[in-house]
Amino acid sequence: MKKFFALLLTLAMVCSLATLGLTASAQEALEPVTLRMWFHGSTVTPDASAKVMETLNPILQEKLNVTLEPIWGTWGDFDTAASTDLQGGASADIYFTCNWSMDEYNKYARDGYWVKLDDMLAEYAPDLLELIPQGLWDCASINGYDGKGVYAVPGLKDTATQNCWDVNGTLLAELGYDVDAVCAAGLDYFSPEFEEMLQKAKDAKGAGFYPLLIEPAVLERMATKTAIVTGDLSGANVLSFYYDAEHPSTDLGNKLVNKYGTEEFQKFVEKTYEYAQKGFISPECQNIETANNFRTACQTKGEYLFGTQSYSFGCEIEYSVARGIDVRMVPTTAAYMDATSGQGAMMAISASSKNPERALMFLNLLNSDPEIMTMVNYGVEGFTYNKNDDGTITFIDEARATYSPWTNGVGNVRILPPTDGQGVDFWDRFSAYYDSAEALPIGAFGFDSTDVSDEASAVVGVYAKYAMNLMSGSVDPATELPKFLDELNSAGIDTIVDAANAQLAAYLGK
Amino acid sequence: MARNMLKEAPNRLGMSRLARHKKTLVLLTMVAPAAIWLLLLRYLPMGGIVLAFKDYKVNPRNPSFFSNLIHSKWVGWKNFRFIFKNNMAAIALRNTVLYNLAFIILGIIIPVAFAIMMNELTHKFVPKAYQTLMFFPYFLSWVVVSYFLYAFISSQYGLITAAQRDAGEAVTNWYKNTGPWPYIIVFAKMWKDVGYTTMLYLSTITGIDSTQFEAAAIDGASKWQQTLYVTIPNLRTMIAILFIMNIGKIFNADFGLFWNVPMNDGALLNVTEVVDTWIYRIFTTTNNIGQSTAVGLIQNVASFICIIGANAFVKKIDEDSSMF
Amino acid sequence: MSRKHKAFRGNSVSVGTEAVFHVILCVFAICCIIPFIFVIIISLSSEESIRNIGYSFVPQTWTLENYRYAFQKMPQIWRSFFNSVYITVLGTVISTFMCALYSYALYRPDFKYRRFFTFFSFFTMIFSGGLVPTFVISRQILGLGENYAALIVPLLVSPFNIIVMRTFFMSSVPLELVEAARIDGAGEYATLFRIVAPIAKPGIATIALLNALAYWNDWFQSLLFIHSAKQLQPLQALLMEIQKNAEYLNKMAGQLGAAAIMEASKMPSQSLRMVLVVMIVLPIACAYPFFQRYIVSGLTVGSVKG
Repeated sequence: MKKFFALLLTLAMVCSLATLGLTASAQEALEPVTLRMWFHGSTVTPDASAKVMETLNPILQEKLNVTLEPIWGTWGDFDTAASTDLQGGASADIYFTCNWSMDEYNKYARDGYWVKLDDMLAEYAPDLLELIPQGLWDCASINGYDGKGVYAVPGLKDTATQNCWDVNGTLLAELGYDVDAVCAAGLDYFSPEFEEMLQKAKDAKGAGFYPLLIEPAVLERMATKTAIVTGDLSGANVLSFYYDAEHPSTDLGNKLVNKYGTEEFQKFVEKTYEYAQKGFISPECQNIETANNFRTACQTKGEYLFGTQSYSFGCEIEYSVARGIDVRMVPTTAAYMDATSGQGAMMAISASSKNPERALMFLNLLNSDPEIMTMVNYGVEGFTYNKNDDGTITFIDEARATYSPWTNGVGNVRILPPTDGQGVDFWDRFSAYYDSAEALPIGAFGFDSTDVSDEASAVVGVYAKYAMNLMSGSVDPATELPKFLDELNSAGIDTIVDAANAQLAAYLGK
Repeated sequence: MARNMLKEAPNRLGMSRLARHKKTLVLLTMVAPAAIWLLLLRYLPMGGIVLAFKDYKVNPRNPSFFSNLIHSKWVGWKNFRFIFKNNMAAIALRNTVLYNLAFIILGIIIPVAFAIMMNELTHKFVPKAYQTLMFFPYFLSWVVVSYFLYAFISSQYGLITAAQRDAGEAVTNWYKNTGPWPYIIVFAKMWKDVGYTTMLYLSTITGIDSTQFEAAAIDGASKWQQTLYVTIPNLRTMIAILFIMNIGKIFNADFGLFWNVPMNDGALLNVTEVVDTWIYRIFTTTNNIGQSTAVGLIQNVASFICIIGANAFVKKIDEDSSMF
Repeated sequence: MSRKHKAFRGNSVSVGTEAVFHVILCVFAICCIIPFIFVIIISLSSEESIRNIGYSFVPQTWTLENYRYAFQKMPQIWRSFFNSVYITVLGTVISTFMCALYSYALYRPDFKYRRFFTFFSFFTMIFSGGLVPTFVISRQILGLGENYAALIVPLLVSPFNIIVMRTFFMSSVPLELVEAARIDGAGEYATLFRIVAPIAKPGIATIALLNALAYWNDWFQSLLFIHSAKQLQPLQALLMEIQKNAEYLNKMAGQLGAAAIMEASKMPSQSLRMVLVVMIVLPIACAYPFFQRYIVSGLTVGSVKG
């Protein structure tokens, strides 16, 4: 008996030593890690998410020993929920971030929420370094708490900005114009021809028809040929950067100005007021809360002649199909790369994440592996889409409606399979279009308004009172514009502009 | 009298010290659940007030909320400075206080009147019906109310504007004209709250011992006199308490009302901007938690002073009705 | 003759006065219900009609399509409905109970720490630490998050309700009753449940109703705490999510560009949102008569004369 037990004991010891040895060598491989990733703008039901993760996670576990736990933030709650979560001790490893909305990218990089990635890229994300063009890395390099660097992985999506006139070709043809000729010649907001076209449409369609379907802020930038400056009091743009319409990278002096104090702006609001008085602009467009609903409704019915559109490659085809009319996009300037498009959709790693290296490795995999990206973005074959022979895919609408992440908000969209509506060579043409865009001279410059935050708070209030109404033509600029400028001055706009110019000069190394 | 009786009862009725202690202990157990909740979820976070005096930044070495808070730099009154450089601050404050005063005054007169009226109706199912209907506004969110108002006064499809157009009059652009809005807002707030405030008063009235009314009637009092000398005195505690609490909130505004109903139109801001919408606008732009905590702190301190004042005022009139 | 007539009406106001009362109350009551009728009409309007003539009391076409869409294509709706009911019932019971206990102690003038605890609860109405600190403590110390507790616990105690209930007790329950009970040898809990509560039923029912409304209408807790466990989302939160999505796209239309348009066209329509509003208001409106029975009735059980 004793001998038997002694044997058993020895056996047990040997076994445990062996297992110890085995685990020791296994530890050189990766430990299993769960990554929580917070997306923006998603429309995903819990069931659909579970289904997709069921298929995705085994693959991730095999490749990286990672389990993905996605948090599908929606348009409306992302800002509040994600920022409260971050400030309260972040619970996720990876967060979507960008430079618009609440400008989380720049602000949180300065406050220390995002991990600085520069030194980690070579070891953990070599594919990213290759895939993402240097111009885009430059556009993402900002002044954070740990010095200048990249604090989030930029998304390789539509990386250039180009504002266009959204032209209703069908209606234009009805009015007797040669659509191709008009589009080729370009449209000038201030020209008598433009006004004539609007007037003809109004006369033909009656008093209830409003031919000019505008988004006032975009219209202003199109009419005055200015670009958005990052960090410019998000949502209350007061800085203007003028660029060369044909060759945006030309150096025109690189000065930022008070948008509302310029002659161009005055000309613009006077013209818009005129158009509104003539009945070209609907009162619904002049009201912040209802404008978007109204615009969407009119676009769906094709009830407009000219609209404003921030262009995204291939959208005119999508819109033509959706609206049942011939949609043409007529650009006002050449396409340009700037911080807005460069920092438009990024993925940052939270400073309180326990596995930042693995998170970066995961991002590397997500952005370079078509299978993974397709699964996260489009879902699972047979469930949300079907593959076609030519390499395109077709969505299964009902299932897709339950699993609709915001495509551009996930990462490198260029490795996705094209949809049947886009056509087989879509991504090649996409890359060709965007890679040919010139970068603005101000590059990735982001204005840091924390030192002038008192003035910024005051200016925001003044902006809220006047800007939208002036830009949409609902109030008379003769009386309101001087009032606006006065209040801006007393709120300290010049302090802000001077601070911005000083920072810009420092950034450009002068 | 009963109050004093109860207070002196221990001695007069020979309640032993042990029994008194036991009673206190039992009452303490009753207070315990809510008190613990308040301690954890209200008093503990009060430490966060210190955010108003700090420049909140994440501590890279240990990014948890508490360590961030401790390591952030102390900046004194810096987060309060922006208020004085801001021209909308005074306007927002003025609007908040004036609207709240109107709400408080009307919010006492109208519901009390309604409650008394409803109590006098003879067929008891009718006031129940009225009460149920009057409660509906309380269920609807301000967003829905704003749609409703919009359906009436929007420039393109509004019912009122359409009527104006048909009658050949000039169409008013309601959302760009500040004139009617103070009235619209006061009416909207009354419409929403009267239902539930009336209910509070009506509940109190139904709790009044009916013998008091009978006694007064026998003494020859008219209906009006009964109301004045029986009903209203019995309501005075409830009125006083609600008055004090509303005075306490005089620097706070109903965010949903002032943000949604005017459809956030810039032209109306001079009459519709209140402290809460004003700070929200700023916070969404600068995302500075120190600044928003600073404004919250000022609101809190101001409320505190007002409540103490109101409570003292009420105490002078009627000791029993005061809060503390 | 007139004496007989007067006796018949007893101690009531004259017919004329009562008629005036009816008119005033009726007009106001109609004012209160019309917007809700309007909401129902919108939920039955076709999307076409809204696009063509906007919101109207008489839509171009009536349709049940919105309701069909809501119930068939949104299985989440039933889950959310269940969540709302569960949270409301549980939350109301617990919070009313906690409130009654606290208010009873405050109502007793011989409670040694009465003033302290009154101030203790009231002070929190004036001073607050702010959203983020409260959120941090909720999450880290109390362990709230992605669970039902996160939707119930934050709303359990309201100092306003405590003070109001104490006032109800003070106005409707004479202290002699409590004294009498004490002489009879009843303990505090017995006094509360057997003597005070039945008399103060209108007051307790009122507070219960306010609590129920607070839980039923809340969406903010869900926004803060529920991110991945979306199956726990209550109905109001679902509606708010849709509403906020629409608002956000509105605000960011200029910067999101083409994406915003495609997203906006995927949003549930206005009429669908109204269906959700109807679903949110109708159940609580139906529950209201249940509470009202206790609120409007309530006679002092005469155990103390004069």
